[in-house]
Amino acid sequence: MLTLRIFCAKLLFLLIISSLIAPNSFAANPVPAIQNMLAKPKVLCGRFDQTKHLVGMKKPLLSNGRFCVLAGKGVLWRTLQPFPNTLRLTRDEIVHFQGERVAMRLEAKQEPVVRMINSVLFSLLSGDLSQLESLFEVEGSADATTWKVNLKAREAALAKAIGTIALDGGAYVKNIQMNEASGDRTSIVFSDIKTGDTVITAEEAALF
Amino acid sequence: MKYSVNFHKLQHWRWFLVWALVVSGLLAHNAYLWLGQRITPDTDILALLPVQERDPVLQQSFTHMVDAAQQRVMILIGAREWEDSKKAAKAYTQVLAAHQDLFDITSLSEKTQGDWLAPFQQNRLALLTAQQREQLNTLDADAWANTALSKLYSAFSGPKLGAFQDDPFGTFDAWVQERAQETPVRPREGHLFVADATHQYILLPMTLVPPAFSLTAQEKVLPLLEQAAAAARASLGANANKIEIISTGVVLHAAAAGQQAHQEVSTIGVGSLIGIIVLMWMSFHSIKPITLILLSIGVGFLGALSVCLLLFDRIHLMTLVFGASLIGIAQDYGIYFLCHRLGASQVDSKTLLKQLVPGLLLTLACAIVGYLGLALTPFPGLRHMAVFSAVGLLFAWLTVVCWFPHLVQANTLKSGKLVARYNRLLGVFSAIKIFAQRSRSIWILAASLLVVSFYGVAQLGVNDDIRLLQTPPKHLVSDQIKFGKLLDAPTPVQYFLVRGASPEIVLQREETLKRALDPLIGQRVFSGYQAISNWVPSLKTQAENRALIERKLLDKEGPLKLIADKIEEDAEWQTKLSQHLLASNQTLTVENFFQSTASQATRHLWLGKIDNTYASIVAMKGLKYAEMQQLSKLATGMEGVQWVDKIAEISSVLGRYRHNMGWVLLGAYLLVFGLMLHRYRKDTWRTLAPAALASFFTLALLGISGQALQLFHVLGLMLLLGIGVDYGIFMQEQNRHSATKIDGGASTQSRHLAWLATGLSAASTLLSFGLLALSSTPALRAFGLTMLIGTALVWLIVPFFIHAKDN
Repeated sequence: MLTLRIFCAKLLFLLIISSLIAPNSFAANPVPAIQNMLAKPKVLCGRFDQTKHLVGMKKPLLSNGRFCVLAGKGVLWRTLQPFPNTLRLTRDEIVHFQGERVAMRLEAKQEPVVRMINSVLFSLLSGDLSQLESLFEVEGSADATTWKVNLKAREAALAKAIGTIALDGGAYVKNIQMNEASGDRTSIVFSDIKTGDTVITAEEAALF
Repeated sequence: MKYSVNFHKLQHWRWFLVWALVVSGLLAHNAYLWLGQRITPDTDILALLPVQERDPVLQQSFTHMVDAAQQRVMILIGAREWEDSKKAAKAYTQVLAAHQDLFDITSLSEKTQGDWLAPFQQNRLALLTAQQREQLNTLDADAWANTALSKLYSAFSGPKLGAFQDDPFGTFDAWVQERAQETPVRPREGHLFVADATHQYILLPMTLVPPAFSLTAQEKVLPLLEQAAAAARASLGANANKIEIISTGVVLHAAAAGQQAHQEVSTIGVGSLIGIIVLMWMSFHSIKPITLILLSIGVGFLGALSVCLLLFDRIHLMTLVFGASLIGIAQDYGIYFLCHRLGASQVDSKTLLKQLVPGLLLTLACAIVGYLGLALTPFPGLRHMAVFSAVGLLFAWLTVVCWFPHLVQANTLKSGKLVARYNRLLGVFSAIKIFAQRSRSIWILAASLLVVSFYGVAQLGVNDDIRLLQTPPKHLVSDQIKFGKLLDAPTPVQYFLVRGASPEIVLQREETLKRALDPLIGQRVFSGYQAISNWVPSLKTQAENRALIERKLLDKEGPLKLIADKIEEDAEWQTKLSQHLLASNQTLTVENFFQSTASQATRHLWLGKIDNTYASIVAMKGLKYAEMQQLSKLATGMEGVQWVDKIAEISSVLGRYRHNMGWVLLGAYLLVFGLMLHRYRKDTWRTLAPAALASFFTLALLGISGQALQLFHVLGLMLLLGIGVDYGIFMQEQNRHSATKIDGGASTQSRHLAWLATGLSAASTLLSFGLLALSSTPALRAFGLTMLIGTALVWLIVPFFIHAKDN
């Protein structure tokens, strides 16, 4: 129930403390090459497997589920195991469903950062790095079919809070690795990615 | 022989020279005051309250809330696209950056640097939102375990305030989120960002360097802001009209008021000056009289100012405005002398003066005695006003008596044709009077007039609302409203003032107040509040929060155990996590908080220690004006809590001044009556009746036209008393002159001269004060309207009260 609030608080914080630093010019900017490589479909769905290593815990925490990215509309993030819940992010709101019941709704009217949170998340999942460059320093490499980047927050306090984010993939994002300064680590692996209007289930589509 | 002639001449000029010395002294003192000391009049209306009623803590709170806001200029620049907003804001700031002598542009980077959460992280267990306290009391261990578990497994828990083990139940996260929601403004790429449904705005907060009410600020700031706005528009090229620029700041209002005043000075002011010059020219065929009269008023004004500042060390703007208009009566002395000078060609000025002095002395005495009543009230503003007008009148009077006989000789002035025609009017009045005395219908007319007037006076309402005194331009008001909506900013003029013997008591009282306020948010009386205790709970609450978390979340058999079982961790993990959480056990104090950059937006709410008490402000957001009663009611009976409404406070000061001035006015009529009784005996009532009747009819007309009585009307009536009594005395004095001479021709001439003096004085009063009725400033309009109606009425009524033996 509080997950969403917590989630928002974090991203909110991320944006609150993000601040100005004159954009650096990179020696080798891989962003244009990556942009060319990415498929950018209208609808993209797939499976995710998440592994978390938390400080003070012996075993990693595993979870998995389905996700969909709809260009121009938003993101659906459905955790299926071990606790089912659904998160829907659109331009103007973040909604947390438990089953079909709306457990929590945060609107841009009430919290202006909602729009930015959603745009960052959409960019992360669709690999739209040009959108991320205002908040992060993007370093990486690309060959003909694969690419790899490290994101480092431009603002020192933000970098301290979130550590580094690593993305890799080809036509789609395949892995996201987040290493926090606190020592907590999260890795998400995407698989079974399908595109096209038919990949989204009727049940999922009904949520948009 | 020659020597004795010179000596005689010198004696003749003695008073002229003495007065010239005094006036030189005045000029020097005023030059020193204005140029050397650079005195500026007080503008805070609350400084007009009696001293014993002033509350230092309250004053300090105003300083914090209002005065601090006074120098601020806030600009919002918004476009549909963020990139456009950035471009426009850059162009805007570039224009202003070249003028650092005018604007101090607050840079964002300094504010956001440093970890603003640092002081709170050591107190995580002490910080809970109201909602969470309730949930801790109601939800069971299972629910909290589930909360922590879904947090454990949630996606994207990457960026966060700390590791999972720092905040497993997300209580601190929720508290931080609640704090962030106190303002909709967010940093974004080095800008302050706020948005509505259509526009993405960049907020540019600036501090004005010169004082907001100074002329420099008003003259330079407005054009510069316009230039910056033009640059911002130009930067977007074809999209120029899609950008929205919202500007707010006290200086904008001050500049608008200044512009309005400037326009009125150049229309009403020039109009009345031309009118008066034409009037004098037609009466005297010379503009010398007008310069002489202005000279006497000018000396009066300077003298009043010098004496007031010597006595009180300071002067309030309201004293200056009211006092200056009261010494407007001073013109009557000059006019009276000049009119008689016109008629007595065979008498030299010195002899003439001797004839006129008794009447002049009486008009002066009446005015001074009348206005000195103001000094008996406990209000400093009224006292200053009494001294100001009394001294001003005395100085103007002395100028007439000491200088005029030397500056105007016999035959300097000639009367124009207009004068003869005007004098014939007096015959019309006599005819009406004779007709009225013979006819009974006049009594019916008088009776019905009285009935209508009583009805009118009964209709008269009262309104002391300060907002009547100013009419800001519409675009400023709409900008202000839009700005308030976008920023959800608290109002600086209405708030709760909380006091206590120690910071802890103040914080506890704030918390009690907030508990009473919370239900009203649901009822939409207001949308939220800002308070220091939002950030720094009282030590008592901190201890309670900590105890609550320990009991509900960290208990050995509590949610932590359930979590450990689910994720297959052992008891050691549970103990370690518990100990880790309990280790952040410092208490948060106001001082700690102020070291954090997070305190910057709320620091002004803490007034600190004032005279052995501590005080703070709880500021209200989205307050509905109609519902304010509920808030003032809420504060009554709550210890150490006071509802403050500066607008209401100022309005009540104005109301009390109106009330007191009303009584002084009545007292003044009695005093003046007593003073004149000695000279005029049973004719005394004739001198006062015109002023009294004119005032009464004026009030009736105001009532019938639906005006609400305010301070400025009463001030008009005060001035009307002075003017009316002058006219009454002029017209009675001619009676005495003629009575002593028993010469029909001289009697008629003398009456004509008095009538001319009355007419000239009334006409110039109408042109100077009466034209203020055209002003768009409501206060000046009220004053002007009273003078317009009242002076015209006195002028028309006065001839009916001449005691005419020879009719």
